[in-house]
Amino acid sequence: MARSFELNTTLSNLRDLKASDLSPYDAIYLGNITCRLYEANLLERPDDLREAIAAVKSQGLKAYVTSYAAPRNDFLPRLRKAFNVAAEAGADAVEVHNLGVLKIVREAHPELPVHIGGFANVYTDAGAEVLKRFGAIRITPNYELSLEEIGQIQRQVEIPMELLIHGKMPLGISDYCFLLEYEEAWGMKCPDLCQQDLFLRQGNWAMKSIGKGVLSGHDVCMLAHLLGLAVEGHTHFRIEAVSESPAYRLEVGRVYREALERAFAGIDRTEERWWETIRGHARIGLCNGFYFGKSGMEYVGARRGAEASGLGRPGTDLLQLSQVKGVIR
Amino acid sequence: MIELLAPAGNLEMVEEAVRNGANAIYVGPHGWSRRRDAFEMDDAGVRDSIRIAHHGGAKLRVAFNTNMQSKEIPDLLRRMETFVGYGADGAIMTDIGAIAVVHRQFPELIIHASIGANILNDADVAFYREIGVSQVVADTKLTLKELASRKEQLDVGIEILIHANYCYTYLGKCWMSPYHRLERTIDDAGKDLFKGSPNRGGLDYRVCLEDWQLYSGDIKWEEHVALKNDAFFLVDDIPHLIDLGVHCLKIQGREYAVSLVGAIVKFYRDLIDTYEAHPKGEQFDLMPWKARLATIQADRDGQRSKGTQALLEEGRIPVAAIRRRD
Repeated sequence: MARSFELNTTLSNLRDLKASDLSPYDAIYLGNITCRLYEANLLERPDDLREAIAAVKSQGLKAYVTSYAAPRNDFLPRLRKAFNVAAEAGADAVEVHNLGVLKIVREAHPELPVHIGGFANVYTDAGAEVLKRFGAIRITPNYELSLEEIGQIQRQVEIPMELLIHGKMPLGISDYCFLLEYEEAWGMKCPDLCQQDLFLRQGNWAMKSIGKGVLSGHDVCMLAHLLGLAVEGHTHFRIEAVSESPAYRLEVGRVYREALERAFAGIDRTEERWWETIRGHARIGLCNGFYFGKSGMEYVGARRGAEASGLGRPGTDLLQLSQVKGVIR
Repeated sequence: MIELLAPAGNLEMVEEAVRNGANAIYVGPHGWSRRRDAFEMDDAGVRDSIRIAHHGGAKLRVAFNTNMQSKEIPDLLRRMETFVGYGADGAIMTDIGAIAVVHRQFPELIIHASIGANILNDADVAFYREIGVSQVVADTKLTLKELASRKEQLDVGIEILIHANYCYTYLGKCWMSPYHRLERTIDDAGKDLFKGSPNRGGLDYRVCLEDWQLYSGDIKWEEHVALKNDAFFLVDDIPHLIDLGVHCLKIQGREYAVSLVGAIVKFYRDLIDTYEAHPKGEQFDLMPWKARLATIQADRDGQRSKGTQALLEEGRIPVAAIRRRD
């Protein structure tokens, strides 16, 4: 089992960067992948991006520059500028969600390490092989994959897989912001519309809306499975907190920092205070995404998850499904 | 001449599409295409489809446009070998790994990048060309200007969907449906049908079309929110697309009634032929065509709406309940 790991998260703009205590993290992805009009999106502001890279690196963290999830032709000049800034300012890697953009980065900046993002739709080991051949050094697989499938890709292709272990899982990306239809009714304009902590709900279905993007209503939570992930050889983990508050970033990040350190020391034990923090920040409830081969909004519980995925032996204090139900509001 | 590509969810539909003038037909093997298995075919069905299409002078493409599991790729190659042996004229695919592997094993086979590949920019097209794709389906959200740019810059065939729905999200970049309900079922051939995940070959519960309520925190802001999902029928654009040199016009709808698919194919066949025969430079009057389409559109909208309601209801059934019933 590896002894070290990377915990990272995402920030969209300088405001969030300045307001966030990033001490739990090892690396930060910079930029908002969803919308060019997102408030002060670092991908649209070369000077801000340069300042953000410097600020992250001055804290001893790695700075990664992400890119749009669905870039059309007219996005590309702006992305080329962002990649130029990334190269000049010493970013540690760029993240691409689009295969054309991968080509562009490799041709313009062959020295820049490239991570593949979740919207690039890596589903198979054969797909990962293709991207490795194109220079990718790390892959976030599509969120629909189970841990069993992810493990097979990692073993077969020998490329690190980055896993979303907590936060709102992306569910879709659009070219159309339906929130613009409400500007007049709400007396509010873009870019404030998508900052209102908005949830689409119907019965027990819920999704978080950020206008051009849809996220899971439930927070993906893999807190009970970290030892299993470590045993499987996973070492790169993301807390997806791009639409969350600085307090979420810090407090959830601290929980996972402590929990990962314990898991990578081979200790299989969670603390009730961790769960209290997680519960406090989960507006709708918790889920396991697709990691255990089930519907993404299900929380399968530690024991069932371990059985379903072949992850490490369930410990004595693992959270049971009955306990988790108590946190789902 | 521009190609008219029609869907077929069963053999009767293949015959109807060919009879009404489709130049090419696409079908999906069970579990391997972006439709529920009821509108897909077993191997014998694909074989017979190829025979019917070829007999009528049409081509037959097999849609393998799912994002399969790594362990399913050897089976994909076996199936592909079978269908190439039957005389399939091309494969419609999404997964970049599967595309690369199939291209390596069947270098002569024409590979079309599916709408699910969500190819959005010219550099994207160049990437797919490099791994073996010779024709790409343009995303439904691209403008004519973007298509013109692509046509000028890249040596690649372009297919346009002319009769389908715009989803709120980009196709291939949405997993709202399996987030809410994913049913894992292995069919007799050993294929995981991923019911609930269109990207992985299962049906789409069309969760996005739910009548949503919008909350900010715990406060309800809107009682009814509908995410955009408009039908589109590119009658106005067809002359431009033909003039632009687009290679293929594609119709969606394997799930519709055979008679409706026949009527849709006949409509576009007649429109294309009439436009191509009319003297260049003279104005082409689309008004009669729009009137004719209105009847087809009403029938199509009715069938789709009924289908959406059934899917949303199905999406609410707990997976465990289905398992018990089975």
